[in-house]
Amino acid sequence: MDSSTASILAEVFLETLSFWYVIIPTIFLGLIVGAIPGFSAANTIIILMPLTLAMDLQTGLIFMISLYCSARMGAGIPAILVNIPGTAGAAATPLDGYPMAKQGKGQQALAISFVASCIGGLLTTLIALATMPILARVGFYMHSVEMIVVMLFGISLIASIAAQDMVKGLIAGFLGLMIGSIGTDVVYATPRGTFGFLELYDGVPLIPALVGLFAVSEAFVIIEKRVIISREAGVNKASWHATFEGVSIALKRWWHIVWTSIIGLVIGVIPGAGASIASFVAYQQSRSFSKTPELYGTGHPEGLIAPESANNGVTSGTLVPLLVLGIPGGATAAIMLVVMQFHGVSFGPSLFENQPKVGYGMFMAMAVSYFIMFFTILPLSRYMSGVTTIPTIYLAPMIISFTLVGGFVPREYMFDMYLALAFGVLGYIARRTGYHVAAILIGVILGPLLEKYFLWSLKKSDGDIMVLFSSTLGNILWVAFAASIILPIVFGMRRKRRSEVPIQ
Amino acid sequence: MPSDKSSAPRQIGGELVIPVIAVAYTIYFFSSIWNSPWTAQVSAFLVGGILLTVCAIFFLRSAIWLRRGQGTLGFGNLVTRDDIRTGRIGLFATTVAYVVFIDRLGFTLTTFLFLALSMLILAKGRNPAFILMISALMSLTGWAVFIWAFDTRFPRGWFETTMNAVLTNG
Repeated sequence: MDSSTASILAEVFLETLSFWYVIIPTIFLGLIVGAIPGFSAANTIIILMPLTLAMDLQTGLIFMISLYCSARMGAGIPAILVNIPGTAGAAATPLDGYPMAKQGKGQQALAISFVASCIGGLLTTLIALATMPILARVGFYMHSVEMIVVMLFGISLIASIAAQDMVKGLIAGFLGLMIGSIGTDVVYATPRGTFGFLELYDGVPLIPALVGLFAVSEAFVIIEKRVIISREAGVNKASWHATFEGVSIALKRWWHIVWTSIIGLVIGVIPGAGASIASFVAYQQSRSFSKTPELYGTGHPEGLIAPESANNGVTSGTLVPLLVLGIPGGATAAIMLVVMQFHGVSFGPSLFENQPKVGYGMFMAMAVSYFIMFFTILPLSRYMSGVTTIPTIYLAPMIISFTLVGGFVPREYMFDMYLALAFGVLGYIARRTGYHVAAILIGVILGPLLEKYFLWSLKKSDGDIMVLFSSTLGNILWVAFAASIILPIVFGMRRKRRSEVPIQ
Repeated sequence: MPSDKSSAPRQIGGELVIPVIAVAYTIYFFSSIWNSPWTAQVSAFLVGGILLTVCAIFFLRSAIWLRRGQGTLGFGNLVTRDDIRTGRIGLFATTVAYVVFIDRLGFTLTTFLFLALSMLILAKGRNPAFILMISALMSLTGWAVFIWAFDTRFPRGWFETTMNAVLTNG
């Protein structure tokens, strides 16, 4: 980095910091829209598009980026406190976040999530800034074959979730994959399994599935208890101590934050791959290489850190192809592209030569947003965790009404509310009879993507299945995938043998 | 492995619901793609085939449990008398009504009615004044934030139309 770039970065950083009066309210708006299923950063920016276009370019970009980052973080809050991920990107967060909340460690879990999100987001922003030219190439090398392996990294999480009862776990996961296959096929647009509903021709919409499987079913389950926190955990008075404890737990696992956020960054760079894939892959890899994999799913901090730092790592990743190639890496980035084009910004390498303040400014806006978020949101964990002490007779109907209507918002079809209700019934049956709803959701989210890449690969090779092993990068990923499956088993056996030696 | 005689027998009937749904749905899915091009079939047959196999294993396992007396075909883990006592059946009925009526009555009024009725059912009629107040507050806040401030296209009824007319024409 030469001195001129450094001075531009310093100048842009200070300039962005002076927009604190835009960033702070936007952070709170982002937290709210991120926390309600159906209200992602993308559709909030669309709703507020006239306002964004009326702003000058710098203010508009800072507003959109702050909203993007904080919405990502906000999605994890209900996932931890009430087992309802605000977006699909936070679908892996409740796996360990919610058990912590039930144990009365909701405040601690929120603090861990906020620290992992802020450090993960900040770190990946800086890495993206430093390695932009290299990262931008990742998208070129990731073809359908390589993407199949990335999807399999995420889908293999089903097997981990299924560890307690493999048969039931696999039934849930494959039922999810089957539901994910609903809709027209990607090549000839033949409708499949749609029951004749035109609304399902585009596939199963994610938000109604998310709302039903997690929120509605959870609301029907929690009414058995007076409050969410388990009786054994007791209702403790909120204190700053739990927040500091959460911060300390997260900081002690700084290396975990670093490598899982980098997974998010790399996946975020790939156009079309999103936060949900990143968080599933990060969670699965974190569990695979953990010394205590058996604790995952029981309220293990590492199981919370992995998806949260990964899905915030995605935010900076999506900016790289947008700025360097003009290819948006996700829905929010696509809307940013529209706003920037409205203001006459040209993309590609010339952006950093002609308008360096815009290019670097976007990364700086992200860095400053995460920096400010750390200090504004962390103290709130003390008050937010109070949600777990609201009597369920009030909480359950509120969850149902606001999430069901959230299922309506993305497409504005009444059908989607009925669909959310149907998924709610399915989720309730699954919860009561020992099937994991997260395994179903992983199938619903990743199934269509896996099928799409699989069919593209087969079409390109005229149906030759060996195309899956035809690229060098793909083969490296296959080896890494095999290693991620086999090594944890080997490590587990070795640990078991070691622990048995002293007993003998 | 010897069975634990002291514990209650496993309610296999309830556990079979999801696999039965899975098998029925997979068969329907296969029927919908039977005459389709191979691109529509390949992945569905692969995934569906594995799903049917895993379900078959589960059915076999359940049959063994039943034969050994380790479980019953009961649905006690899914439906119990407690569902009436806790208000779950009532909550389900109000939820279905919410989805049916929201398109006609609009978001605000339906949400108010749903919240008030559901909370009254779950609270067994206690604190009606507090419940009505909190229901009104939540539905009006929802209207103010999502419809008035953000202009989100939530389902609209006479309340939203009236408020829109009042706010537009003063």
